[in-house]
Formats: sequence, structure tokens, C-alpha cells
Amino acid sequence: MASVASPEPRKKAGGRQRTRNHEGFLRHSNFRWLKIALILCIACLVSYFLIDVEPRHNGGSWYGYTLGTIGALLILWLTMLGMRKRAMTPGGWSLKAWTSAHVYLGLSLIVIGTLHTGFQLGWNVHTLAWALMMIVIISGIYGIYAYATLPQGLSANRDEMTETQMIDSLRSLDRQLHDAAQPLVPEQAALVQSSLEQDPFAGHLLQRIGNRYPGCSTRNAQAELRRSRAYQPRLGDDPLDKVDSLLAKKEATLGRLRKHLQIKSMLQIWLFIHVPMTFALLAALSAHIVSVFFYW
Amino acid sequence: MSFIVRQIAYKADGSEIIRDAGSGETIITIGRNSDNAVHLPDLAVNPAHAQVEQSADGLLSITAISGQPFYLDGKSVTSGEIDPARGGELVFGGHNIIVSRDSDSGAAILTVRRESAVSDSEEERDLGSIYTLKGKVPGKRGSAWGFVALVLIACLAWPIYSWATYKDLAYAEKAKRPDGPHGDGFWSSGSMSLAHQSLKDDCQACHVEAFVSVRDNSCMTCHDDSAHDHAAKPRLATARGEPEGFAAFQRAVANAFNKPEGACVDCHTEHEGEGAMQPVAQQWCADCHDGMDTRLTDTKILNASDFGKQHPQFRPAILQQAVAGDDEADAPRRRISLDDKPIENNGLKFPHDLHLKKGGGVAQMGRRLSARYGFGEALACKDCHTEDPSGVRFEPVDMQENCAMCHSLSFDKIGGTFRQLPHGKPELVKADLRAYFRSTSPNRPINLGSLPRQRPGDVPRTRTAADYARAVRFRPSRADQAIRAVFSDGGACYDCHSVTNNGGLDYVIAPVTQTDRYMHKGWFDHAPHEEEKCTTCHKAEDSGKATDLLLPGIATCRECHGGEKETASDVPSSCAMCHEYHADGGAPWLIRQEQKKKKSKKPKVVAQNRR
Repeated sequence: MASVASPEPRKKAGGRQRTRNHEGFLRHSNFRWLKIALILCIACLVSYFLIDVEPRHNGGSWYGYTLGTIGALLILWLTMLGMRKRAMTPGGWSLKAWTSAHVYLGLSLIVIGTLHTGFQLGWNVHTLAWALMMIVIISGIYGIYAYATLPQGLSANRDEMTETQMIDSLRSLDRQLHDAAQPLVPEQAALVQSSLEQDPFAGHLLQRIGNRYPGCSTRNAQAELRRSRAYQPRLGDDPLDKVDSLLAKKEATLGRLRKHLQIKSMLQIWLFIHVPMTFALLAALSAHIVSVFFYW
Repeated sequence: MSFIVRQIAYKADGSEIIRDAGSGETIITIGRNSDNAVHLPDLAVNPAHAQVEQSADGLLSITAISGQPFYLDGKSVTSGEIDPARGGELVFGGHNIIVSRDSDSGAAILTVRRESAVSDSEEERDLGSIYTLKGKVPGKRGSAWGFVALVLIACLAWPIYSWATYKDLAYAEKAKRPDGPHGDGFWSSGSMSLAHQSLKDDCQACHVEAFVSVRDNSCMTCHDDSAHDHAAKPRLATARGEPEGFAAFQRAVANAFNKPEGACVDCHTEHEGEGAMQPVAQQWCADCHDGMDTRLTDTKILNASDFGKQHPQFRPAILQQAVAGDDEADAPRRRISLDDKPIENNGLKFPHDLHLKKGGGVAQMGRRLSARYGFGEALACKDCHTEDPSGVRFEPVDMQENCAMCHSLSFDKIGGTFRQLPHGKPELVKADLRAYFRSTSPNRPINLGSLPRQRPGDVPRTRTAADYARAVRFRPSRADQAIRAVFSDGGACYDCHSVTNNGGLDYVIAPVTQTDRYMHKGWFDHAPHEEEKCTTCHKAEDSGKATDLLLPGIATCRECHGGEKETASDVPSSCAMCHEYHADGGAPWLIRQEQKKKKSKKPKVVAQNRR
């Protein structure tokens, strides 16, 4: 869950302020922003059914304009998290409070924005803005889910290794493999060479997220070498033994690296939708507002 | 010395370590095994890859031993020659060998360098980005700007371009934008109504100026004939009154955004989806008509805000005096509330109850004539009243068509032909009766001149002859008697008409005026009510006099019709169901839509029903 800790300073004067507990942005201030967002949604829903708009609800009634104004201002404020997050401050307006508000008020936009449409959707700029808003919100929901569930797996897989250590260990294994493979015949050397030459960070997005690398040269080299020596007599000091054990180590290291890449990409991918779609939404929102007043 | 093999390695700080090894042989080998003179610890190189032979004149010929090629000056070959004096480059796997000549000794120098890293991961990496999705998906910043540009061009620039291109057309007469994709079509918030379908690609037919709301003159381009003014503008403004509270705030906002008050589009909202244009909501009427007497103090119109809750009793236009001739529409009428139980004397006598009775003489007569006229067990409304072709109202009752089946005016029979008194022409009636008595003889007594039936003796014979002679002589004067009878109580005219006698035989029939429409401010269409019995609303069975006004009051209508919001009522009815804002005399908007729908659904059946 959110790693930003609730900054509750100890009463003891002096010294570094320490935090006592981990309270994620979702639980911030005993769900203050969840409650505010819920009140907002309920108020909108109740008024939607109580207020009579003729001939039927639409964005162009006074009620529709009101919801639209609230929604547009909310969208602008929510977008500002991108700026705000670069300045961490503690307190009631801490970044965590902002994030908490961002999440819950963002979710409340589903209700506000949809009621603003009056459920009149079509192939036009107005529905485009609504659809982009929904894409942003849904990607954000995935983001919350990812932040809430994936970091444990990332930490467990890493086993206290840093990313630098991961690549260093690969490099070390590669050097050892290179040395150990020197006595090999050309065909076997070529297999080891292909493992060395393969970029461990290659593979397209789906391979990363799916953690599926069917063309892994390391695995292939290991399998082929084992096959080729399966019927050869063991002569004690066979360089293939060392190469084989090094390949096995490399594969394990690669496995951990790829799992790491998988979890990290799942943690990051939603932002590649959330952020560009937010900007597309801002553009569509501008076009929506201009068009309404241009032709009204 | 023939060869100098110069191995170059790099320190961590990037500086070079140079190791020279000389060889006196004329043939040396290049390979991965350490026993090669040129030892390349490179898995891409064969254990013994190639040999280099130096000829007497110093030329080097390089030949692959294992058949595995190598690169000579960038080309993949299995053998080749290099003149060390001129120099050359060999590439084996990740190593390259620069060939040159030592100017002092004349020996060939092979300078060996490892060019590529041992493995891919060994190569320099940007640790800040390799663990991210950078390069795997389009960057956030780039795609954000890309989408922004795309959306702004498609949804803002193009529509504005479309508008600007055809802006001048808006002022040209009978000009229409050409069909085809226009950018501003993407701005449409919903489909146009059926009536405006032809304008769906021509946004500028209504949206003329940028940032100016749709003005009435756009509507009047087409609607100048039908959109009559509801009332004079100042009276409308007075009736509406100054907005208060939230309405005042709304008005202020509308003013701030340059939206005029009382525009056509206030009531007639467009882009509400395909289908008929929505009827105007009750609220628009109630804004003025609810409590209107407090604002428009001289109005004769009573307050109304909701048919179910606040609507005055009907005030039909009651005939004040029947007029003679065809000027029925001009007969004086006065609007009187049904609560005041008005009566209407249209000049006729007609007891509805007698005619509709299930038994008795009328019903019996109807049964006798049922074969000819299709009457039932008793007379019904339809036997005398005929719908007009539209089905909205009823034709006036016609004596010949609707009464004469029973109320015959026949007075003579010649051969198979009945002679009838001419209806509506009292002078002709008198003349016909006189002519009848003048041209006919009294019945000849059967004992006159007939021996077998005579009583014996001359006296009876003479008396009979004298009586007959007297009858013949006085025959014409019997006409006066007949005229008197026909215009007096018990006579054919008197039964239905008010007759006054100005002395002698001067009888005057009171004029008759039938009213075909009582509610001129509202609209009532009989056709949609045809499933109801007539007597549900018109209490004809209990009416003994023609002066009874058989119009139902508002309470009867409210049994089914509630206000617009009364969804519990059978027929929630907005003002537009009976009233028309633009008042062109026809059916209200809502009813016209219903009629259109019916026509398009079942034209033939409807036509038959109306006939």
C-alpha cells in the first residue's frame, strides 16, 4: 500500500521526527476523503432525482451546467496532483492527504460526470470528454489496485537485492561463463555466446508483463549443452560441468530479474495510460466547453 | 622477426596496456586456444580459426582453417591478402586486428583489440531507465502532447474551420451548406428532431454567430407563417413578472452569457434525440399562467398551472340566440362556466331521454325500422349523430339524414311515391297543403250511387248525395285546418320546433343554430376517446330537454386526465395536450404528433373508422 507514512511526530522535543504507524493514503485521516466524496455523490444523486429538468436531464440545463462546472473544476484540481507530488510536505495538506483526496474525489467524478451527461451519449466531442474521463478513472482504479497489491511481491522477489546488484550479478556470471567456455568446441561456444549476447532487458511490453520469454538463449544453451553431453562419458574435469552450473545460476538470476521487471511494469503501465489520457481529457474538455458556448 | 603481436587491454580508468610478443615464424595461427600466436579469448572465434602466412615479399595471406569466415576490411571472407605496408583490418568475433608494418624491422605488426564487451549485460547501461518501461511503450509526455494535438485539431480546430468556411452562407438567402462531413457535426450534443432532420448537417442554419445563442430570427426563416405571437410582447413580460429567488439568479446568469429571455429555444429544445420534437413542458405555461391575475390584472384569462390541480372549470361558448340562415358561426355566444349550469336554447325541442329509452314507443319504432336503418334494440347516439371526417367533432344533426327515418313528413302517396312537406320552408308547407286539398276530392261515400248498399228510400240517397256535394264544396277550406294542425301542438313541425303564431295562419318557426365547437380556447378530439361510451361524459340518458347542455365538466375529464406530473393518473396531461401556444386554430402540437403517428402506423384502418 501507499508508502508515504503518516507523519505523526513524537511528543519528545528535539531529534528526528519519527513515524509510529503506516497509514496508507487510502485510510488517511480515517477515510476523511472517502466520506467527503460519498457525501458529494449522494448529494448529486439525490438532487438528480429530485430536480425536474424538462424535457429530460441533460448537460445544458441549469442543473447540468452546475454539475459540469463542479466536474470541470474537479478535473483541473485532480490534474494538479502531477505538480503537487513533486513537493512533499507534511500536515493536513500533506501529499498523502492530496493523494487521498485525488483518489476519492476522482472516483466521485464517475457519478458527477455521468449525471452531467444525463445519460445522453453519442458520437460527439461531449461524449468523447466523458469517455476519456472514464478511461482516466478506470486506469486510476487499476493503479490503486496495483499499488495496494503488487509491492509485497516486488519486495519478496527482490530478496534485498538492489537493481544495481541484480545487473552486477548478471555481469559477473557472464564473465565467468565467458571464461569457462573458452575450451569449448565452436558449436558449444556459440550456444554460450548467444546467451551472453542476449539483452536481458529485451522483449516487448507483453513479454514483460506476461513474464514469458520463449526465445531465452540461456535456457536454450543450457538445454542444448545438456542434450549434447547426455551420452558422453564423465571425465571428471569437463569444462561443460562448470558452464552448466553457471548457466543454471544465470537462469535463476534472469528469472528473478524478469519477475522484477514484470511487477515493475505492472506498477508503471497504468500511468502510461492515466497521464496521456488526462491530457487528452483536458483537451477534449476544453473543446467541449468551447463548443457549447460557440454553438449555443 | 616476421610478426609482432601487440595485445591491447584497457584499465578500469580507460588507459591502455600494451603487450608486444614477437614471432620468427612465417606462419602463425589466430584462434581461441591459448597455443595460437594470436590468442583471442572470444567465444565467437574458433579454437584455431585462421592462419597468417608471410611470403618473401612481405605480403600476408590469411586463410580460414576451419572454414569459418572472418572479416577482412569489412568483408566476410575465408581467405585474403594484406600488404602490411599498406595496412588492413581483420575482425574475428568481438576482436579486431589492425595489420601494419614496423618501419624499423619490417615485421608485420598485428595490433589486437577487444572491441565489444564480453556480454550484452556487460555493456554500459542507464540504470535509471532499464528497469522502467522506457522504450517499451510510447512515452507519457510524447503521447500526452500527441493526444492533445489530435483532440484539439479534430474537435476544436476543424469544427471552427467548418464554421468559418460557411459563415457567409448564413446571411445568403436560401443558401444551404453542402452535404458532407463538417467538423462541427462533432459538436452536436444529440440527434435533431424529426422535423429538423434536414438541418442535421447544417449547424449554421441555427447557430449563426459564434458565442451567440440561437436567436428567433433563425427560427422565423422557416416558421414565420405558423409561429403566431401568443400575446403582445409587453403583456407577455408583465404576465411573466420579475423572476425571484433562484429564477432571478438563473436570469442573471443567462444575461451574463448573453442569452435573451423569451426566445423560441427557451421552450423548443433541440438535440433531444431523434423522434418528434418534445412538446413544451407545463412549467413554461405555468410560469405565466400560475397566479397571472396578480400580475396581469386586466386579464380575462383565469389562473391555471396544472390540469389536475389548478385549472378553472370549463367555460364553453354558449349560444345566446339562434340565428336564421347559414351564419351559425356568427351567432352571439358567451363563455359561461359550467359551474353556473348554463342552458342553451338552440331553437329545437328534443328529449334525449325519450329517444334513448330501452323500451317504449321510440325503441319499438326503432326495432321495426332496424332492418332498414340498422338500429339496435333501442336507439343509440350514433343513429342520429355522425362524426365529421376528421373524427374530431360531429356533423350538425340534419333533419333529412338523421331524423326523417322516424319523423316522416310524408302527407300523400301517388303511386309508389310519397310526397313530403318541404323541411325548413314553412311557406312552401302551407302552399303544398293548400294545393293538396284543392286538387283532391274527399273520399266518395260507398253508398253513393250504389244500389246494393243503399238504405231503402229516397231520403237516405238524397242525404248522401247532399253530404258529399257539401264535402266537395268545402274541400279547399280543409287546408287551413291542416295547416293549423301541422304548426300546432301535436303537429309535425311543433314536435321539434318552437312555433309562434302571429294571428291567423301566420306561423313563424324559431331559427335553429347548432354549435359544433364549444371550447375555442382548448382542443377536444373525440377520436382518441372512441373507446369510451358517449354517455360516460354526455349524460344524455337523463336529459329531458334540448336546452340541457350535455357538456362534461372538468371533474369528468379529471377522472382520467391528471396534471403532467400525475403519473398515477391514466393520462398525465400537460397543457400542450389541449392548448396551443401559437394559436393557429388547429390541433395542439401534441395532438398533431399523435395524429401523425397514427397515420403512419395504420392509415387504412383509421380512414375506415372515420367514415
